[in-house]
Amino acid sequence: MPHKPHVMGLFKSEDHVVSALEALQSSPFEFIRVNTPIPSHKIMQALKLKKSKVGWFTLCGGILGFISGFSLAAFTATRWDLIVSGKPILAFIPFVVVGFEATILFAVFGNVIGLLTQMRIPNDGWLQYYEPRCSGEYFGVLATCDAQQEEGLASFFKKMGAEVKIFKQDKPL
Amino acid sequence: MTATNTTPHVADKKFPAVWVFATLVVLGAAAFLVGLFSHHPEKAWQAYLINFLLWSAIAQGGLLFSTVMHMTNARWSGPLSGLSESFASFFPLSFVLFLILFIGKGHLFPWMHEDLHGKEVWLNIPFLFARDGIGLLVLYLTGFGYLFYALQLKLGSHEPQGKIRQAIFRVWQQKQRPADAVRQKMTVWGGFYILAFALVLSLVGFDLVMSMDPHWISTLFGAYHFIKTFFVGLGGLIILAAIAHTRNGDRSQLTSAHFHDIGKLFFGFCLLWADFFYVQLLVIYYGNIPEETYYVIIRTMLAPWNKLAWFVFIVCFIGPFFILLNKNVKTRPILMAAICAIVIVGIWFEHLLLLGPALSHSATSISLSISDGLISFGFLGLMLLAIRGFFNVFPELYGVARAAS
Repeated sequence: MPHKPHVMGLFKSEDHVVSALEALQSSPFEFIRVNTPIPSHKIMQALKLKKSKVGWFTLCGGILGFISGFSLAAFTATRWDLIVSGKPILAFIPFVVVGFEATILFAVFGNVIGLLTQMRIPNDGWLQYYEPRCSGEYFGVLATCDAQQEEGLASFFKKMGAEVKIFKQDKPL
Repeated sequence: MTATNTTPHVADKKFPAVWVFATLVVLGAAAFLVGLFSHHPEKAWQAYLINFLLWSAIAQGGLLFSTVMHMTNARWSGPLSGLSESFASFFPLSFVLFLILFIGKGHLFPWMHEDLHGKEVWLNIPFLFARDGIGLLVLYLTGFGYLFYALQLKLGSHEPQGKIRQAIFRVWQQKQRPADAVRQKMTVWGGFYILAFALVLSLVGFDLVMSMDPHWISTLFGAYHFIKTFFVGLGGLIILAAIAHTRNGDRSQLTSAHFHDIGKLFFGFCLLWADFFYVQLLVIYYGNIPEETYYVIIRTMLAPWNKLAWFVFIVCFIGPFFILLNKNVKTRPILMAAICAIVIVGIWFEHLLLLGPALSHSATSISLSISDGLISFGFLGLMLLAIRGFFNVFPELYGVARAAS
């Protein structure tokens, strides 16, 4: 596999990152990712990411949990009819508590399963194209291109106001 | 503010809205007076009490939003804080409406002619009106104290127009406080308002709602009442924000993110309201003491109130819960306003559910008439007139610049 150069533009300003991301979309270069030291709504919006599916895992887990908890309470109550003050064996008011607790538990399980399956992990090549300053004061925009376009990509980032770092590793992401 | 000189004045006299609001008030007052002189004046007083509690709650909860945002150093609320402060304009009306309740005491407090087994010390008319009156006065004065400094921070540097505005501006000018000192004052008054909100609305919940069944006790009822107050206050604020956004567009400085965020808060308090209902229900269920269970049985299991109980639960909790799980719904002002309006109507019926069985013993059906609706519209008209009056004095908070500014 021929080497594809990876170039990172290091920005100090969040707004410049947003401009660079918008410009990248209409350029011949291939955008890979942004490393940001802080959570940023502006950058998230500029990335135009597809909606995450993790919420559906959580919702399904929650619904399954409520049914499971409620069924567990109902099942155990019917094993031995313990009648107190004429209350029904299948009493909905207290069973909601068990259902609620199981909703939370299973929703968390669903969420974790969603994260594990949707986060694209493990990815051992991730750190190869990482710049430690992105955990400090810089935003890093990583992009790749064909070998002959490397200069063009570097000058693109410079034009957008970034400091440029070119990665020479040959290992794919 | 980004508004320009070409923006329409909020107090444009050609706009007939103020007459519509005034007509609502007149219709409501007429319906109430007709009800008073009918065969069932207690029905008119019941509608009056429900509406007093509901519309006062919207005003009290509305201002609470701004104080909470300030106390928590929240930045996301932006123009929503200014809008929420407009609800304080209903405070004087709310206080007068509370005093009018005194006239209907014979129809409103079933315990007046009952043997209260020692509770007379607490449940007697002079003491009840004195403590609730003082409580509301303290709440409203602390609210105005907070408002005074909140407005100074937002508008202190603006050129004042109009007599009220100029009078307030002169006081600001005399004190010459820097912004940090004003913020500190806001923290003090806001803190007191939040404290007074919890205490006074607990008291109002106990005295004007729970005491209607004087032998029934739930220690959490006060907390349930003030949580509900914030819940409907947020609902009222979202409706006001949706109106401001629809009428003024970008000039209101409201974005879909604001609606999304306050929608989440509304959703959270929808859950908390249901939680405070449920924790009371669960304890009463397990305790199974006849003195406590009859209150719940009458309202949730026996006709005619049981259907109303399910209606309230679906409209105020189940419906909003599943609808507001969706992010897109929360970002749409008109849709959110519609949901909030439905919830507020639901809370109107929730007050009827709490008060109705106590005020109409042995009722075989829920008798609602057109006059209940007209009285409610009268209160709505009062609220709209108060808010409109506030924005006439402080149009910047509505996203509209003064014509000559």
